[in-house]
Amino acid sequence: MRAAWWPVLIWVALTTGALWFTTTHLSVHSELGDLLPEGTTSTQRVLLTQVRSGLAGRLMILAIEGSHQDELARLSKALGEGLRKNSHIDFVGNGTQALSPEERLALFRSRYLLSRTVSAKTFSTDSLHVALEQRLDDLRSPLAPMTKQYVPSDPTGEFLGILRSWSGWEAPATHRGVWMSADRHRALLVVETKAAGFDADAQEAIQQNIRASFQRVLNELSPSARLLMSGPGVFTVEIQRTIEREVWWLSTVAATLVFLLLYASYRSVTLVLLSLIPLSSGILAGMVAVNSWFGFVHGITLGFGITLLGLVDDYPIHLLSHLNRRDTAQATMRAIWPTMRLGVLTTAIGFSSLLLAGFPALAQLGLFALAGLGTAALVTRWVLPVCVPAGFVPREIRADLLGTMAYLSKVRVLVPVAVVLATIVLIWSDTPLWEEDLAKISPVSEEKKELDQQLRGAMGAPDMRDLLVIEAATQEDLLQRGETVMPKLDRLREAGALAGYDLVSRYLPSQRMQRQRQQDLPEPALLEDRLREAVKGLSFAPGLFAPFLAGIEEARSQSLVDRESFHGTSLGLKIEALMVEHHGRWLAVAPLRGVADRQALKAAVAGWGDVAVAYVDLKEESSRLMREYRDRTLQLLGWGGVAIAVALGIGLKSLPQLWRVLVPIVAGLIVVTGILNLAGESLSLFHVATLLLVIGLGLDYALFLNRPEDQGEERRRTVFGLLVCSTTTILVFGVLAFSKIPVLHAIGLTAACGSLCCLLFAGFLSEQDSHVA
Amino acid sequence: MNFGTIRTSRRLFLFVLLLSGNLAGAAVESTSSHGDPASNTWTVEQVVAALKEGREPSVSFEEAIYSSMLTEPLIVRGTLHFTPPATLEKEVVEPYRERYLIEGDRVTFESERKHVKKTISLEDYPALRSFVEAFRASFTGDVAQLKKVYETTVEGTSRQWTLLLRPHDQVGKSMVDYLLLSGSEGRIATIAIRAPDGDRSVMTLRRGPSR
Repeated sequence: MRAAWWPVLIWVALTTGALWFTTTHLSVHSELGDLLPEGTTSTQRVLLTQVRSGLAGRLMILAIEGSHQDELARLSKALGEGLRKNSHIDFVGNGTQALSPEERLALFRSRYLLSRTVSAKTFSTDSLHVALEQRLDDLRSPLAPMTKQYVPSDPTGEFLGILRSWSGWEAPATHRGVWMSADRHRALLVVETKAAGFDADAQEAIQQNIRASFQRVLNELSPSARLLMSGPGVFTVEIQRTIEREVWWLSTVAATLVFLLLYASYRSVTLVLLSLIPLSSGILAGMVAVNSWFGFVHGITLGFGITLLGLVDDYPIHLLSHLNRRDTAQATMRAIWPTMRLGVLTTAIGFSSLLLAGFPALAQLGLFALAGLGTAALVTRWVLPVCVPAGFVPREIRADLLGTMAYLSKVRVLVPVAVVLATIVLIWSDTPLWEEDLAKISPVSEEKKELDQQLRGAMGAPDMRDLLVIEAATQEDLLQRGETVMPKLDRLREAGALAGYDLVSRYLPSQRMQRQRQQDLPEPALLEDRLREAVKGLSFAPGLFAPFLAGIEEARSQSLVDRESFHGTSLGLKIEALMVEHHGRWLAVAPLRGVADRQALKAAVAGWGDVAVAYVDLKEESSRLMREYRDRTLQLLGWGGVAIAVALGIGLKSLPQLWRVLVPIVAGLIVVTGILNLAGESLSLFHVATLLLVIGLGLDYALFLNRPEDQGEERRRTVFGLLVCSTTTILVFGVLAFSKIPVLHAIGLTAACGSLCCLLFAGFLSEQDSHVA
Repeated sequence: MNFGTIRTSRRLFLFVLLLSGNLAGAAVESTSSHGDPASNTWTVEQVVAALKEGREPSVSFEEAIYSSMLTEPLIVRGTLHFTPPATLEKEVVEPYRERYLIEGDRVTFESERKHVKKTISLEDYPALRSFVEAFRASFTGDVAQLKKVYETTVEGTSRQWTLLLRPHDQVGKSMVDYLLLSGSEGRIATIAIRAPDGDRSVMTLRRGPSR
């Protein structure tokens, strides 16, 4: 007797240790980016880097509406001013900002290095003459006061040309100097956050900051003005909060229902509480294991892991249901342990396939579930029986229960019928089997998505779906490549294949290009001669262009500009966003706007014959990525299934038994898939992961229903236990199926249907006659 | 990214030009009931009221631009149009065709020679906005607003007057040193604008559209 307490003591010690570990070392992450895979191709890796920390994820569009346009303009300006002081925000655009005087000066100094129009021809006598005539035109214009200051030092118009070439995108309409939607009902702002779009906590803090800033600028003139926000960061926060909220109320409802059911089944609060020990120990073990191996536990792993571990709640229920007057709890446990052990081992095989999927999210989940499963089984085996009060017996079980079971076996023909029906559904259904559109899995509400589309449209912002990716070993190589690509993109734009692009080479020329431009600048004496010729017949004051001669002379030997030259300016920000370093290589990511035909563009880019330049459809690429991981997971699952069958064969040592255990599970999986399809659901990775849980449940049910030693009353207890198990599962996951979040809904529906199907099918196929004596 | 300062100031200047030109078209043969013909000295109120009195839809102009960068002035000819309440247009016909149109907050610039047509916002910058608004208001007859923005000096008689406008605030001063309007009764004959760097433009106005 005394020896039996050792496991309990060890359990207490370990639990204490684990509790200490979780309170001091546990680090729960909420950044979705941490769960994304590394990617298998270099393009995918680039994209994932972009998704994790790239500019696209950090951009937020704000809109102010609900007031007169003048008031909206005032609010936009006041809000923009406030936000520019916020240290968590890199950049705020609302139409008012311009280059700072320092930036303008730096650009002006480098005009002969940066201007795309600088070549030897620019400074020929004829070209100079034409340029000077244009300067006279400028002086005639009412706009002259703003441009005339550049005439003496930049008569060829390089500086203003640079600025013109940079303001390439269609800026939104403006009112009172700030961006507005075309109907002037919304003032528009763009905010670039320092934190990655997937960093839910940081994003939430920033968004609260922005709301607070907005509240501060509101006054009595704008009682009804509202602030709208959209962008990846906003979505991240919404997803996170929606999941938290839903999970909280769903789990409250489910826990209450389960508690009531267990109490109704065992009439003892003590036992209901005892039944929680394996599950909670399992969760604790899962957290410790994942945190030790990965260094952190993701919030999502935690949520899904606990879901998967819902399975282990079956173990104490089996024990409690089998308790009787004759045997001690330990003896009862020993009697059902071989069956339970086989169930645990085979389920573990199924879960371990997650570990190999090569997807961090699934690997964490697999480890969590494995550690939890093992711990829960061990705790049920060695700790729980010792804690059960001596002499406890569950309520009397109705005798006609077995009759019902016997009836089930008479209609076992329903199993093949259901499988055939499900197969027909799967073959002829209009609902695609697999979900290819990631957006449909997203829990972001339709209104939010629509708002995002509207705001992006109004801003003329690229939707970051179409990208041109250029790869090179060094910055210089990258910029040189960019320079060869740029004219090709220009041709595509002129042909209408795309509306615009933003490539780093537009802003930063390669060193080679800059040196070339320097060499094209004429020597002072030569330039002076040409200028003297060019100015003939034009009424410019003598000596006016001395600053021009000096500027050229200076530019011939000035130091070249590079990525660092504009650091800390809005231009620098843009350059840093458009070219990134990734594992020692350099990448240019150029967003394309208004792509007319994606297939044609892909073919056109491929036709350039440069392997380092690729067109990427982000949406297509991310779908492909998910598809690859899903296929890989399915493949592993298949091998896991084979391994489970082998393990079962060895454990059961009987082919008919193996048949009775395996068929209900396989049939269950097919029928569940059919039901989901019939309900209009296409399968995603989340469904696949939940099917693992269904396999685990099916194994548990079928193994217990086919225990060779079950006779009479013992069998009644088994059936009763399984009914409690299945009802618990259906309650918990049935509640989940009511969730508005697609992922939770998917898991809930799959698991609830799976539990029901597996129990029914196992009942249909179990060997009844020999037992009903 | 938006490199907007240049445009802003341009716009402002453009606005100044257009508005003043337009008002010129305003009153050609206004027999003003304002002012006292006996004393023959005019006040700002009287000038503004006379200018507002009768408007002509268009008036032709010849503009001479003097700059320290030039050895001789540049000449531009064209027509100014005004459509109440707030649409103004400067149409250049010589030496080449160009059009500047202000409708409310929008400025459309169209040039035949430069092959450009673009629309920009009149106001881009908070500091300048108030200045422009005040200026606009002043020429629609709001003398109080005009005096708020400019120091106004009227000299001469109703038959031969000059109105000198000097901006009060720093932002305005950086744009224009002074505007000098000269005219007779409700009709403007010339508008001279002097920039802080000493460059000037002098616009002479004649009745009716240019050929």
